[in-house]
Amino acid sequence: MLCKQPYVEALGTKKAMGKIVNDFVINVATANGTGSQSSNLIILHSMFEMGIPVSGKNLFPSNISGLPTWFIIRVSDQGYQAPGDVTNIQVLMNKDTWMKDLESLEPGTIVVYNEDVKLPVDREDCVLLGMPMTKMARKINPKLGRLIANMYYVGAVAHLLGIDLDAIEKAVKAQFKGKEKAVELNMQAISEGVSFAEENWEFESQYCVESREKNPDSFLIEGNEAIALGSIYGGISMLSWYPITPSSSLAESVIGWLPELRSDGEGGSTCAVIQAEDELAAAGMVLGAGWAGGRGMTCTSGPGISLMSEFIGLFYFSEVPGVIWDVNRVGPSTGLPTRTQQGDLSMLYEASHGDTQHIVLIPGTVNECFEFGWRAFDYAERFQTMVFGFNDLDLGMNRWETTGFQYPDAPMDRGKVIRSQEEMDAIANYGRYRDVDGDGIPFRTLPGSGLDPILYRGTGHDEDGVYSEDPQVYHDTMERLKRKIDGARSHLPEPMIREEEDKEIGVIFYGSMENTIVEIDDILGESGLSVSTCRVRALPLHPEVEEFVRRHERTIVLEINRDGQLFGIIRKEFPADLIPKIHRVSYSDGMPPRARVYSEMILEVLNEVK
Amino acid sequence: MVRLNVIELEKSEYTGGKSSLCPGCGHDQISNNIIQAAWENGVQPEKIAKMSGIGCSSKTPAYFLGKSHGFNTVHGRMPSVTTGANVVNKDLSFLAVSGDGDTASIGIGQFVHSIRRNLDMVYIVENNGVYGLTKGQYSATVEKGSKKKKGVANQQAPIDLCAMAINLGCSFVARSFSGSKKQLTALIRAAMSHRGMAFIDVISPCVTFANNDESYKSYNYVKANDEVLHILDYIPHFSPIEEVEVPEGEFREVNLFDGSTLRLETLAADHDYTNAVSALSAIHESENAERHVTGLLYYNENVPTATDTLGLSETALVDLPEDLLRPDEDSLERVNATFRS
Repeated sequence: MLCKQPYVEALGTKKAMGKIVNDFVINVATANGTGSQSSNLIILHSMFEMGIPVSGKNLFPSNISGLPTWFIIRVSDQGYQAPGDVTNIQVLMNKDTWMKDLESLEPGTIVVYNEDVKLPVDREDCVLLGMPMTKMARKINPKLGRLIANMYYVGAVAHLLGIDLDAIEKAVKAQFKGKEKAVELNMQAISEGVSFAEENWEFESQYCVESREKNPDSFLIEGNEAIALGSIYGGISMLSWYPITPSSSLAESVIGWLPELRSDGEGGSTCAVIQAEDELAAAGMVLGAGWAGGRGMTCTSGPGISLMSEFIGLFYFSEVPGVIWDVNRVGPSTGLPTRTQQGDLSMLYEASHGDTQHIVLIPGTVNECFEFGWRAFDYAERFQTMVFGFNDLDLGMNRWETTGFQYPDAPMDRGKVIRSQEEMDAIANYGRYRDVDGDGIPFRTLPGSGLDPILYRGTGHDEDGVYSEDPQVYHDTMERLKRKIDGARSHLPEPMIREEEDKEIGVIFYGSMENTIVEIDDILGESGLSVSTCRVRALPLHPEVEEFVRRHERTIVLEINRDGQLFGIIRKEFPADLIPKIHRVSYSDGMPPRARVYSEMILEVLNEVK
Repeated sequence: MVRLNVIELEKSEYTGGKSSLCPGCGHDQISNNIIQAAWENGVQPEKIAKMSGIGCSSKTPAYFLGKSHGFNTVHGRMPSVTTGANVVNKDLSFLAVSGDGDTASIGIGQFVHSIRRNLDMVYIVENNGVYGLTKGQYSATVEKGSKKKKGVANQQAPIDLCAMAINLGCSFVARSFSGSKKQLTALIRAAMSHRGMAFIDVISPCVTFANNDESYKSYNYVKANDEVLHILDYIPHFSPIEEVEVPEGEFREVNLFDGSTLRLETLAADHDYTNAVSALSAIHESENAERHVTGLLYYNENVPTATDTLGLSETALVDLPEDLLRPDEDSLERVNATFRS
């Protein structure tokens, strides 16, 4: 089912040369704020409803209304979820990008366009299908014409691909929950779109959909909402946040689910939510909550992490638990605020001044978003430190398939907290920062307990927590902290390894690249390469990652950033004899990773080092 | 015989480590007043959380209430740490110390927002008009024309933290002087009895960098220019009669949250502490006269606190059992089902 079909021969004929089933890319070009997100999600969900493997990418601007936005729908029986390398069906609604969108198309692309935009459509090598969407929409409802116009392309696409109208109706109902008028109005527009296409377009698309058996358990969800739910099941007791794209929906999901899931049965909430004055305050609140014995969390993006950095050092040095989720957008600075990247990883790992090292959890699926959402608190309290969750805009704000979330398989780990005098008496020579177990993790007591109180501080301190500038005391403290975080390596989520027998090429990757790796693997396979993969799920690196490198002739570290940030960490931490056989492929342009781009770069690097 | 307080503790139970501040520092006087106030109020030391930022003043929690947990946080960010601790454990009594650099410059945003939320805490600024730990640079609260020991006189207008707090609707605003033991102890005791943000701006001379007579926050200057609004007597809820005699002149009584009373004996003009405009007038008039107005400037008992407005569980969140923090397995099935439908 590869896309090497004779597009041109299909032109102007009523029958396509051969049908291409469940393997194509739709690109919808609209203006932000015109309601097109509803239309796009209806197309996405209706196909999902038919059991067809489908994914959607929203490429939106940093703007509320007017700037261009694109929605890419990938349909693939192979389960490919990357945006795809070419567009097979282009929907044109936006006058501002009209010409450029049109120019970029491959010959043979099917172009569905809104005739009422009144711009030229001079691509004779494409299939051009116009519809007076705005005029038809205004006839139904003059006031809402601009919004409803988008529903006509849903009808057009449904006609071309053969999407079930029942599935569409179900998706429309889900989109406009409970609003009967809206359901009726939008369904009318979609039906009119279908009828218009049937009556006026003498063209039968080579692309079509076929129902597949749908797993009744599966649904689509954004990574941010999965993390939010995970944190709720992780016993979050304080959420502080400052709005920033692309993390706001994480906080808003927590807020949305709290009344149902975290009420104490007497009308009180068991989790406090504070919209902070800035990211510095948000981080400070997490610190205060963790110090007092609560489970505090905040979520932000790269610029927020920069602002929180001073507090992050205090978490590390005063050994207070807390959770910070970074939903990565494109940096540096304000960067491309609505585009995706893995550009914050090295910053997270060593955030704040002086020597620091932080635990970073890196989910690659929405199920892991949920799981790491609750586990983050256990790690934070176990290791008495700040734990980062690392997500990105692609996984965080786009919708991904799951068959449902699994309940935590272990009770909450509250770590080494002394809660009574008896527990205190059982420890010989207690000191807040004394390593009595040899794992680098000391015991702590909580404010209000009256048990061995200290004044926590960011200044140098001895094992009893008393101010100290003693060289040996400082050195010993820093070595213990190193030992403590190093000790976490084998407790953190292990890498997901899929290994070929001949151990020729190993690819190390992480996070949302999970959604592109299968396709990359297939493309490399077509080139005759045997590729094993290792998906890193946490920092500091699990010992298995080093073993993976050792077993393979060559290893590529694959990342969505410019400099190869994980590659840098690996080079710093792995033994010198392994370094010559590790190479990097790192590329970032703000787009979710396209398989062809990264595959070609991998082949190029392997060619160079042969 | 050793004197015991109402919960039968000696005063030594409220002391802390040895101060490393300059001998004669006003801040040490304030620490002594905090010890005195906490002891006289019979507060359980372990229920207090001492909070501070960075600077000379912020070091002082090491020198008082050694039986209390505390956090010497980062510069200007003490309020946010206090906020996080407060919402998860509303049963703690937060006693915070900050400086004029910590609060009026780097931390002014967090100061403003902690008032806006009416955080349930005592917030004391030890105000000397200079950055002491970095050797005497002017801070944002120094008066125009005031001159420290070295260098030229300050030419910029000051930020008046009390005026700012009143404008923001702070529920308890007072100004005092580290050398006025009786007034300051009464105000700290009242602040501890208040529910909500109790802000006390305490002028506290820096003996090393700004205690010369040309400095408006020097000991001699404040002594000579202290415009005392009223004589203060604190009457604790547990022994209302024995401590204080009823004055002969005019007086007003402020009823505090825990049942204690702050009695204000009128001196010259009657100050209406319930009226924000009167309070602001008093501040501006004394500023124009190059004097310092001290006493309870403003009080409003009817402001909901941060934890009141959050709709939280009656039990402090840190004391909730796991089954209230983690929803049950059935609920997750319901969540999954919601998405499937």
